[in-house]
Amino acid sequence: MLMCRDLAEIASDYIDGELSGRQNLSVKMHLMMCKDCRTFIGNLRASTELLQAHSAGHPDEELLRRIDERVSEALKTRRPRDKDDE
Amino acid sequence: MDTAVHPDIEGSLIEALKQGDSTAYKQAVRDYSPGMLAVARFYLDHSSAEEIVQDCWVTVIDAIHKFEGRSGLKTWLHRIVANRCKNKLRSSKREVATDFSEGLEPELAERFNATGRWEVPPKLQFHESADSLMENGALSDCLDKHLSALPETQRSALMLYEAHQHKSEDVCNILDVSASNLRVLLHRARQKIFLMVETFQETGEC
Ligand SMILES: [Zn+2]
Repeated sequence: MLMCRDLAEIASDYIDGELSGRQNLSVKMHLMMCKDCRTFIGNLRASTELLQAHSAGHPDEELLRRIDERVSEALKTRRPRDKDDE
Repeated sequence: MDTAVHPDIEGSLIEALKQGDSTAYKQAVRDYSPGMLAVARFYLDHSSAEEIVQDCWVTVIDAIHKFEGRSGLKTWLHRIVANRCKNKLRSSKREVATDFSEGLEPELAERFNATGRWEVPPKLQFHESADSLMENGALSDCLDKHLSALPETQRSALMLYEAHQHKSEDVCNILDVSASNLRVLLHRARQKIFLMVETFQETGEC
């Protein structure tokens, strides 16, 4: 029988749906009977979802402007050579 | 993939980039730089990461002709960034040893008794939404601190997969790890983040 500790070891694969059908079923059965593991899986999920919210930061306009500048400079120097190639 | 650009739109963008269309580059810089910067940040400090992203765009101008579209544009760009960062690390620092061992974090393993049941079960349900939790600046700082303490490949795997919603095969591709090693990296990184968030929720401290 699947114990709480075994479940913790495959919890990450369970969350991602990477378990085999039989393993997946035994996790589901365990979760039906075990409140602690339900909390654990819920929290593991929630803590990884945090990362999505956390990384939603954007680079500032200043960086984008600097990239635009370098790109347009680079395009200028490359364009004539490309034309010669064609 | 909800974050992916529609294939037709991406196709015409790539065509325009190949033509050297400056408007297309402006658009692409806006669309793709946030993700590229995030990838670079897994490896490098903020200013080095910005530097790398700028350099990569110049590389893209020369390399886009070779882009065959087997992977999506985003994956291709992220791979360029990751490779450059790895080269930079290699030239400046020690090679980071990667731990692919399975099993539980010691701190978590201690919480089960000899029969494999919870001895110290998770107490609180993390019930607040991720967005409202992130409004908590202290938690956000704590997450930053713990993310930067993760081994490089664990952090990269977690962020590419979780935060940037790359498919498993793309993450394997970008990081150059096997599918089973990716599973282990995610498994270990998630346990650490779980333990960190739990401590933070219980004590309010990082
Ligand atoms: Zn259990």
